[in-house]
Amino acid sequence: MSWFHRLANTFRPRSLSRDLDREMAFHLAERADDLAAHGMSDDDASLEARRRFGNTTAVTERTRDRDVVLWLESLLADTRYAARTLIANPGFTAVAVLSLALGLGANTAIFTLANTVVLRSLPVRDPQQLVLVDIRDTKHTADKGDPYFTNPIWEEIRDHTHVLSGSFAYANRTFNLASGGIVRHATGAVVSGAFFNVLGVRVVAGRLFGPSEDVRGCSGVAVVSGGFADRELGGAASAVGRTLSLEGHPVPVVGVADPRFFGIEVGRKADVFVPLCTVDLFDGPHALDERSRWYLEVMGRAPGLTPEMVSARLSAAAPAIFQATLPADWSKASQTHYLSQVFGARPAAGGLSELRNQYAHPLWLLMAAVGVVLMIACVNIANLLLARGAARQREIAIRLSLGAGRSRVIRQLLSESVLLALIGAALGAVFAHWADRVIVAWISTRHEPALLDLSIDWRVLGFTIVAALVTAGFFGLLPAWRATRVDPQTMMKSGGRSIAGSRRQRISRPLVAAQLALSLALVTGAGLLLTTFRNLDEVDPGFRREGVYIVQTDFAHAASDTARQPIMEREVLQRLAAIPGVRSVSQSAFTPMSGAGWNDFILTPGYSAHDDKDSLSYFNEVGATFFSTMGTPLLSGRAFREGDGDIPTTPAIVTRTMARHFFGVDNPIGRTFRTPVADSASAPYEIVGVVGDSKYNTLDETTQPIVYLPLGAKGGIRGWTQWNYELRSDLPMSTILPAARDAIVGVSPTIELDATTLSAQIHATLARPRLLATLSGFFGALALVLAVVGLYGTLAYDVTRRRNEIGIRMALGAAWRDVIRLVLGDAGRIVAAGIVVGAALSLVGSRFVSSLLYGVAPQDVRTLVGAILILACTALIATLLPAWRAARTDPTEALREE
Amino acid sequence: MPSSKSDVLQGTIDLLVLRTLDVRGTLHGYAITQHIQRGSADLLRVEEGSLYPALHRMEQAGWIRGRWGTTEKNRQARFYAITAAGRRQLEQEQESWVRLTDGVNRVLRFA
Repeated sequence: MSWFHRLANTFRPRSLSRDLDREMAFHLAERADDLAAHGMSDDDASLEARRRFGNTTAVTERTRDRDVVLWLESLLADTRYAARTLIANPGFTAVAVLSLALGLGANTAIFTLANTVVLRSLPVRDPQQLVLVDIRDTKHTADKGDPYFTNPIWEEIRDHTHVLSGSFAYANRTFNLASGGIVRHATGAVVSGAFFNVLGVRVVAGRLFGPSEDVRGCSGVAVVSGGFADRELGGAASAVGRTLSLEGHPVPVVGVADPRFFGIEVGRKADVFVPLCTVDLFDGPHALDERSRWYLEVMGRAPGLTPEMVSARLSAAAPAIFQATLPADWSKASQTHYLSQVFGARPAAGGLSELRNQYAHPLWLLMAAVGVVLMIACVNIANLLLARGAARQREIAIRLSLGAGRSRVIRQLLSESVLLALIGAALGAVFAHWADRVIVAWISTRHEPALLDLSIDWRVLGFTIVAALVTAGFFGLLPAWRATRVDPQTMMKSGGRSIAGSRRQRISRPLVAAQLALSLALVTGAGLLLTTFRNLDEVDPGFRREGVYIVQTDFAHAASDTARQPIMEREVLQRLAAIPGVRSVSQSAFTPMSGAGWNDFILTPGYSAHDDKDSLSYFNEVGATFFSTMGTPLLSGRAFREGDGDIPTTPAIVTRTMARHFFGVDNPIGRTFRTPVADSASAPYEIVGVVGDSKYNTLDETTQPIVYLPLGAKGGIRGWTQWNYELRSDLPMSTILPAARDAIVGVSPTIELDATTLSAQIHATLARPRLLATLSGFFGALALVLAVVGLYGTLAYDVTRRRNEIGIRMALGAAWRDVIRLVLGDAGRIVAAGIVVGAALSLVGSRFVSSLLYGVAPQDVRTLVGAILILACTALIATLLPAWRAARTDPTEALREE
Repeated sequence: MPSSKSDVLQGTIDLLVLRTLDVRGTLHGYAITQHIQRGSADLLRVEEGSLYPALHRMEQAGWIRGRWGTTEKNRQARFYAITAAGRRQLEQEQESWVRLTDGVNRVLRFA
């Protein structure tokens, strides 16, 4: 009943309001008649009638407010009025909208990234049912386990457990689409047969994988993504039936998946899927039976089960599964540990993501930073609104005395704030869209581009709108509250300026101090992250990175006869060395900071390790010219020579850290060590030289021991096909790449190659610290500028307000120096308060960045002092202008004004 | 203005209006004010401004029904009548009023 009324009322708000007016007019007329009948004059009667009735406007509004829907009507009126006010003050509006667009835009930008990388679920059916299975130590079942499985373990889980209703195995894999020559990568994945069914991926053309892809000896087929079909195969319709060359093998395409499906790793877009049963095609005939190849990730659906229940039920089957898949060639200790393992499960609605592992923490940190920037911007706008509220007090007083309710006026003022915030948010969304693309480009590396679906979903939209409304409340509520706290009578009588001014001053100074404090905390944080980046950039990696090209080759399809491969390797080396402008060339299995590597345990009589980790060393297999090409100094002994790989006792060169760690001396030339082979040991390696330390995986790692073996060494990585050639040259990439291709294709057209520079390879490992340093620096600077603008605004307003007082002081003999001292002292108190609070904030807040720092302590005093100095200097600049203006006050004029 | 007249207690205006309409049938707002004032022997005074928001609220709640009509002086006025739902509401409010006054009286007597 009443809902019908309300609904009806929405369509006739005007008539309701007119009804009420008529009704009240009737009442007043009747009352006046009565009063007149009792002997009052007509005029007095109608006045008295009005007085008795009370505030008609307030009555109208109270009556109308009874209706929820009618609220919309006044909202519309408020918005229209607010828009007119904003248009009438273009300067104020521009400043406010711009700072809000920056503040809200930065928030939307970072939140969009956080949403995509951290929060969003995979675009598959019922993602919340998905769990990721891992392998855990019995002792540490609460920790996250190791998520990598061997194929034998996966097959056991698939065939002998029934805990998960649908499970699949998955491994990232990059396929080379070219056969020979320069490689062309397609990102993809190796998946078990149930992959698409379990995830509920829609098929666009052809078929997806099914149970027939879970049978050993299946034929090689591929499913491609919708995007890949469009880019490479002329659309989904014509893709099915085409043949791709994957790693040199012809593989027919049998189906095209939904274009929105990007695989299960956020940040990576899988374009080519092949069934797990075909990895023997790529990796050799026994690839599926290898019990030490840990590369599969196992996921499944667990509707109605908690991860703990899945863990417990899978673990019940663990002993049998590990017994059935025990690697025979492992040492007894390792086997015992292997058999004792259990399974665990964790929620995996968001899929897997290397990007998430790396960037979740930095993104929340940046989210906090942009939140602070927005708060500082809000305070500025609040101060502007306070000043404007003071200027508008007469207008507000008039409206209050004409009968507007206080809450009605507050709502009016707030709708201005909301309108400002929404315009700012809309502009900010445009800015965020652009900024996100820049950030994603930053964190992308050539081989691992970050491919993210940054489309706006309900969560981003909701966040932006809520952020805008909260922001509007934050900067609008206090000024509106204050502006309406006037007594109309006092207000109408006095000029009103001095009262409003002093009240505003009382509140705006602590606000400015708070702004300065917050910005100091951000500047300190930015300082720490910038120092971290500079430290990392200046780390001595142990080689000279400039001018080194890395030509990556793959001989996998080049030599049908493995004995011929070393001959071809040498030929490639000679032809690369013959390129004019190439000063030296070397060959190695791995290059520093490439993400690939090899480590093993060191057995040596004089050394007993505290634990397994303590006896690990990295390894590399390198040619004779490796150290001279890389610029790694030889400290003692000799470098490798041609034919070192054929010496019966394999010679080894170790780094200084390796020598000290395992032998306790700087010069262990002639000493030997072994590596474990199952329960016994390898043939001995004899140390012939010691070189300087090098970084192996990352610039921020503690220096690791490294052993270098000569090419073709016994106990080296026999059968390795992916050799790197290091070229030292001043030529540009555009010259080197074609020359290297010609040289290598000249040896054999089936050798695959790609090229990069050592600097670029290192540059890529610094993506995260660089992003953090740049963004925190930008947000820190933005916060500082906003805070100092706030300080300037407050001081400038004060100077204007106190013109009269300054005039009197000068008339009584104060020199301009005294006036400047007055303003500076004023500013000094605000800045000092800001610095004290900000320093405390910095010390507390820096705990949250400590895990991202390198070579600088979270509570680094130099950084804090530096940040304080920057703040103080900027604040001083902002103070000088108002101080100078104050000092130039002409006393006679200032006094005449009043 | 005589200060001995008490303003109608917050919340009792519904009761008074419903009772008035129940007894007197269809009335316009001004007549309702007059009736309450006279019926209480001038002890109660409806704050005239607050009557209309109350009338509208009650109309939306479905307790009373308003209709435009013409008075004997040929003025346009809105006439209100109680509905069935309004009578039920009136019963409830009367009961709770009796309970309230009873309680207050007891306290005054024994406190």
